[in-house]
Amino acid sequence: MLDHCSISHKGGVVLWSRSFTPEASHIASSSASPVNSLIREALIEGRTAEEKYEKDGYAVKWTFVNDLELIFVVAYQRILQLTYVDDLLAALKALFIKLFEPFLATFVASLHALNSTKSASSVAGDTTTSWNFVKAFEGWDKVFDKLLKGFEDKAAQERKSRFRSTVHAVSADPSPPSDDLSTIPSESSVVPQDEQQIARNVQALKNRLRGRGGRRGGRGIARVESGSGRDSHPASDSESNKRKTKSKAQRKWGDEAPSEMDMASLDFSVDKPSGTDGHLSHDLQALVDEASLGTRTRDGMYEVKDWEFGTKEGEDDVIARALKSDGTTTKQTSGSLGALGSLFARLTGSKVLTQEDLKPVLEGMKQHLMKKNVAREIADKVCEGVGESLEGKKVGGFQTTSNAVRIALSSSLTRILTPKTSTDLLLSIRTKLSSPLPSTQQRIPYSITFVGVNGVGKSTNLSKVCFWLIQNGMRVLIAACDTFRSGAVEQLRVHVRNLSMLGVNGATDSKGRVELFEKGYGKDAAGIAKEAITYAKENDFDVVLIDTAGRMQDNEPLMRALAKLVAVNNPDKILFVGEALVGNEAVDQLTKFDRALRDFSSASGAGKGRGIDGMIVTKWDTVDDKVGAALSMTYVTGQPIIFVGCGQTYTDLRQLRVANVVQAILSD
Amino acid sequence: MDDSLPQEATPEATPEVLPLVAGTSTQTLAFGSFVLALTILCAFLFSRRRSRSRGNALLLVGPPDSGKTAILSTLAYNQTLPSHTSLQTNATVVALPSATTLRVVDVPGHPRIRDQFLEHMGDAKAIAFVVDASTVSRNGAAVAEHLHHILHAITSLPPSQPAPALLILAHKADLLKTGTSSSTLADVAVSRVRTILERELEKRRESQSGGVGVEGLGEEGERSDMGGLDHSGPAGSPFKFADWEGGEVDFAGTWAKVGETKEDEKQSGTDGLEGLTEWLDQLSR
Repeated sequence: MLDHCSISHKGGVVLWSRSFTPEASHIASSSASPVNSLIREALIEGRTAEEKYEKDGYAVKWTFVNDLELIFVVAYQRILQLTYVDDLLAALKALFIKLFEPFLATFVASLHALNSTKSASSVAGDTTTSWNFVKAFEGWDKVFDKLLKGFEDKAAQERKSRFRSTVHAVSADPSPPSDDLSTIPSESSVVPQDEQQIARNVQALKNRLRGRGGRRGGRGIARVESGSGRDSHPASDSESNKRKTKSKAQRKWGDEAPSEMDMASLDFSVDKPSGTDGHLSHDLQALVDEASLGTRTRDGMYEVKDWEFGTKEGEDDVIARALKSDGTTTKQTSGSLGALGSLFARLTGSKVLTQEDLKPVLEGMKQHLMKKNVAREIADKVCEGVGESLEGKKVGGFQTTSNAVRIALSSSLTRILTPKTSTDLLLSIRTKLSSPLPSTQQRIPYSITFVGVNGVGKSTNLSKVCFWLIQNGMRVLIAACDTFRSGAVEQLRVHVRNLSMLGVNGATDSKGRVELFEKGYGKDAAGIAKEAITYAKENDFDVVLIDTAGRMQDNEPLMRALAKLVAVNNPDKILFVGEALVGNEAVDQLTKFDRALRDFSSASGAGKGRGIDGMIVTKWDTVDDKVGAALSMTYVTGQPIIFVGCGQTYTDLRQLRVANVVQAILSD
Repeated sequence: MDDSLPQEATPEATPEVLPLVAGTSTQTLAFGSFVLALTILCAFLFSRRRSRSRGNALLLVGPPDSGKTAILSTLAYNQTLPSHTSLQTNATVVALPSATTLRVVDVPGHPRIRDQFLEHMGDAKAIAFVVDASTVSRNGAAVAEHLHHILHAITSLPPSQPAPALLILAHKADLLKTGTSSSTLADVAVSRVRTILERELEKRRESQSGGVGVEGLGEEGERSDMGGLDHSGPAGSPFKFADWEGGEVDFAGTWAKVGETKEDEKQSGTDGLEGLTEWLDQLSR
């Protein structure tokens, strides 16, 4: 059932791998193998918090061993719902480490040779011990086979037992099988007294129907497996409760009568005592920041504190403060010796980070990120990813847990924000313009589309980009495809007039370098864009900037219209314009825009759908250091931030510096 | 009556200097502090000596999927292990046939984490830029961008530090088809890589010169575009590695077959990595 299984080191060396189908073994060594795709797209991008990774029909699951820096990966066909993969990974991990720990330790040490003089002697000694990897892992193949067979047999047995129980239930029913719900009362002679009995009966019927469907289908193995998979999920996930089990909860439609449980939770008429006292006091503390309380005047009036510009707080350990304020809910110091014991363990270099150590620190970091305007889900996922990469790692010397977390978080943020494609727009424009001409005589201009929700600054930043392109000697055509908002075309006309008046390189003006292409209001935006590109081609323009109307991300007809514009004109770059002030909305906006563009533009038969290629973050000057929106936006799409707009004049266009943003996010 | 004794006959007690630690005299204290200073000095010198022994590393950098980890495993373990995309740097110590030891650092090539090579730049004696010669015609632009970063880093080293030697390795040369020409695989790979890289770097140099860049956020004085591609040829001529101002650039063509060991290679008579090992020997001499 499995396609591929591998054990490798984080530095890239594969220690052991096994492919179960010839096709899998063929692509396993290429760069398109599931392991490579997993690493490139999920792990390096920092999306380690998600459970599963799917690509090209493969579903891939993985787990880490952080102190030995190993990755265990299992890949199988996506349509199969294999239930034992998590358990298999956990068992593999435990067994492999138990059997080969000394060899692995020397191997990992050899890949981290820090000091050449120190290990020169050890190298001389090691040349006698040849690194025979095949010999080292020779017993492993048999162990793996046995393990896999054990899991598969158990899964097959569970399937059979589920089969048998449904068969029994059906045979007990005297009447012919029918899907009619009205046959429920005929099963139990006693009329159900309360809602719980009804709920239980409904669930039993649903199980029977599911089993019946599988039996009637005959070849419905997948169906039955999915059924058994769902049912056996809670049982088999006791070991791997690190991964939150997402068993599917039934969707609650509004037209059902509420069950008893729902009634109890929705009843606010009676004052219920809150959970614990500690919980309540924590809430109160979080509501008011003691340091920012105002003053009481002599008359007894409460005056609000003044706004101070540019205060620098003395204390710069933000985590310590977060932990202090969180004092009521911090855990008891675990371990037999408590704080002193952990200090000694750290000094001798053998302290292993556990979940309990990391949790309060990560919680504090998450609150800090959210204070910096990072969306809640993103802060959650980033901290979870950091926690996973640190768990089980040895931290030694005088490095505290919070320091280790801070370093890991900083590198994770840098990794997320560093662009994976080139952000040099000029280079791509010049490359396209100088590429060899096809049979047609005229050059196709480079086209950039600006999309976004209402009011983020698309037209303003479009004109800033236009100014920059003019300064670099390009001829720009602006296509006014915002045919909806009153004044959109006039706004662009004013910008074009201003830009024409600004000269470049000693010229008095730039007439002829920038022009506006508009067809008034109410027309189809995709058609106008097409005509604009044709016009630009005929009149030798270099770049076409397409301004679109702002639209909300859940407005489906408008998203379809945008996708049609993209599909018809195939612009070279689609830039999403978002403002830096946006909070949790950023996640929603970007996911929906990206998905809508991909789905709708590929549905029209143009082949692979286009998504967002880059982002412009605007109104940067309104957030001084709460720049978390940049992080949320890059995390959601994976695309780089090309420009940052920080003002209303034409020169207020900047490039993003990853180091500055990371520092701003992590500072106080 | 005792108190009527003339008190002024006794000399006025001078304020006594109490020793810092009760029970020890000032002499022992002075001796102890001298010993402490000596130990601190010794520790300082030792750390300096360790830091002076730097400059002994070979950095393996390059675009992803070019074979850097395979080269490292061949050098370190005498067999080419299968590998996948690296997540972190590997550093190992290799004993060269000329009886010197060399530290080899393999930096991942993925664009998000490739800037880790800057941490090891101070330590580097040599940099090997590994390129996959069989696919370079397709992704030449990305390879050139990566190379540009490396060149920029080399040229922005402080002048007190000796610049590391640069070798561009046309790797996976065994996957090329030589066609009808009689030149060896390595030469074909080298010439192809050289022409493609020079062309792409010339495009990059053109797009930067004479343009107005967009400033970076933050400090005003920082330049956001990268230099590093200055060359001493006549102005307007295309970029050539021979003319590069940052130093000498060497080329070599190599390959490493996964699963092969040193013994297999000795039997077949060809060593895929001999271009690299020869260059390293030349360097250490």
